[in-house]
Amino acid sequence: MFLLGTFYLFASFLIMTCLSVIFSKNPVNSVLFLVIAFLNSTFLFILIGAEFVGIILAIVYIGAVAILFLFVVMMLDIQITSLMYNIKRYVPLAILFSGIILAEIIYLTVYKTSKSHSNIIVRSENNTEQIGNVLYTNYFIDFQLSGIVLLLAMIGAIVLTHIYRPTIKRQNINKQNTTYSKDRVKLVKAKSGEGININD
Amino acid sequence: MNSLYFEIFIGILKIFSFVVPVLVSVALLVYLERKVLGAVQLRKGPNVVGPFGILQSFADVIKLITKENLLPSSSNKFLFIFAPMLTLILSLIAWAVIPISSTYVISNINIGILYLFAVSSFGVYGVILAGWASNSKYPFLGALRSAAQMISYEVSIGFVIITVLICVGSLNLIDIVESQKNLWFAIPLLPMFVVFIISVLAETNRLPFDLPEDEATLVAGFFTEYSSISFGLFFLAEYANMILMSSLTVILFLGGWYPPLDIFPLNAIPGIIWFAVKVFLILFVFLWVRATFPRYRYDQLMRLGWKIFLPLTLIWVVITSSFLFYFGMLPN
Repeated sequence: MFLLGTFYLFASFLIMTCLSVIFSKNPVNSVLFLVIAFLNSTFLFILIGAEFVGIILAIVYIGAVAILFLFVVMMLDIQITSLMYNIKRYVPLAILFSGIILAEIIYLTVYKTSKSHSNIIVRSENNTEQIGNVLYTNYFIDFQLSGIVLLLAMIGAIVLTHIYRPTIKRQNINKQNTTYSKDRVKLVKAKSGEGININD
Repeated sequence: MNSLYFEIFIGILKIFSFVVPVLVSVALLVYLERKVLGAVQLRKGPNVVGPFGILQSFADVIKLITKENLLPSSSNKFLFIFAPMLTLILSLIAWAVIPISSTYVISNINIGILYLFAVSSFGVYGVILAGWASNSKYPFLGALRSAAQMISYEVSIGFVIITVLICVGSLNLIDIVESQKNLWFAIPLLPMFVVFIISVLAETNRLPFDLPEDEATLVAGFFTEYSSISFGLFFLAEYANMILMSSLTVILFLGGWYPPLDIFPLNAIPGIIWFAVKVFLILFVFLWVRATFPRYRYDQLMRLGWKIFLPLTLIWVVITSSFLFYFGMLPN
């Protein structure tokens, strides 16, 4: 009873914050509502006993992804009213994506029962260990493939941003460290009443 | 039903038994910092309020509370007030999983180290929100700097924690300490220990990495617009974070509540005192570094994080796991 009550509390918070992400006018508020939505889904994961997945969700999405969203959104200077009137443009796209996700959920719940992993040795109630066991045995190839996809995405991002342009001034750390004071500063004895000529 | 209320009451008492000592030690840490800085710079430091000036920080707190709390006219009021509260809350809730001795901990959860990592990575929100809500240039620059800085150094902190976890085989903080009973991890993992201390300096925005509040270029960085108690909350959170990260260092590398050698006069001293002494030593290193080193330039900071610490920690993860695997010393 207590568990069910907490579930409905967090689930209703989750839905409310997700709606606020879409309908709030200020994009910074949208990102903050997104953070609260992530936090609520973390609570839901912990509630069903999947504390490892929940905390990883919090670390990755709240600790890194949402911060980068906030970082980008804060630097934009958006006219708030102009955001609202072209929302109808995105309706077909939204229907397409939500339709795909709905079809996936129906496929998983109706046609496919979950795989049973007979090789798991349940030694403790620690689900970190269980996830590790499944991930590195049954899903080893999938795990490595997703790693390669992420590596490709990273290389792609670096190639796109790291363009060599001769006009850009770069700092050469080795050159800076190997500079001595006698290369840059010259001590000149100025004669009284004459001063020094800069062109010397 | 009565037993439930009783458990809640005990829980609240436990929480207070952590939070009150943390807040008192924050006040004493501020005093210690001023005394250490004074000694390094051949001054006396605070010596007027109370014996040896030990009540100086309490006097400062009273001063801060009684000042007027100013709100900038064009700021986002809710986030402006909420940001310092969030920073302090995050630096206090992390204490829920810190074990001070093998039995004295509020909540002994299986994934304690991940919880701590998550909470410390949320800390950047307080700074970013404060900088953005102030609607002013210097706080905003400070917020952007801190966002980039904290994310960069979290990567190397994550790899250092993974290296320790490979040696332990558990995410539970008590297990981590108990596996160091014979040998502290600071000895076999000495390079990781050094990297961790430097990254912790960057993560808590302490000198020489205090670029988000760099007074030489940004006035006071993200809390330029803050006054009175809302400034006080930021101040409190920074020092509470320092104590938290020092205890994390002690748990990961310096053997928690265990004495350095398991011989008679040393193991007669209770574990809590060993823990406190070790935390004090790490905190002293923080203050010592502040008094000794000049502030980093921002590009130097980023270069240290991404080009030196990231490859070094990544290679150490591989070396440690290969070593343990080859010699059959992997846990479990």
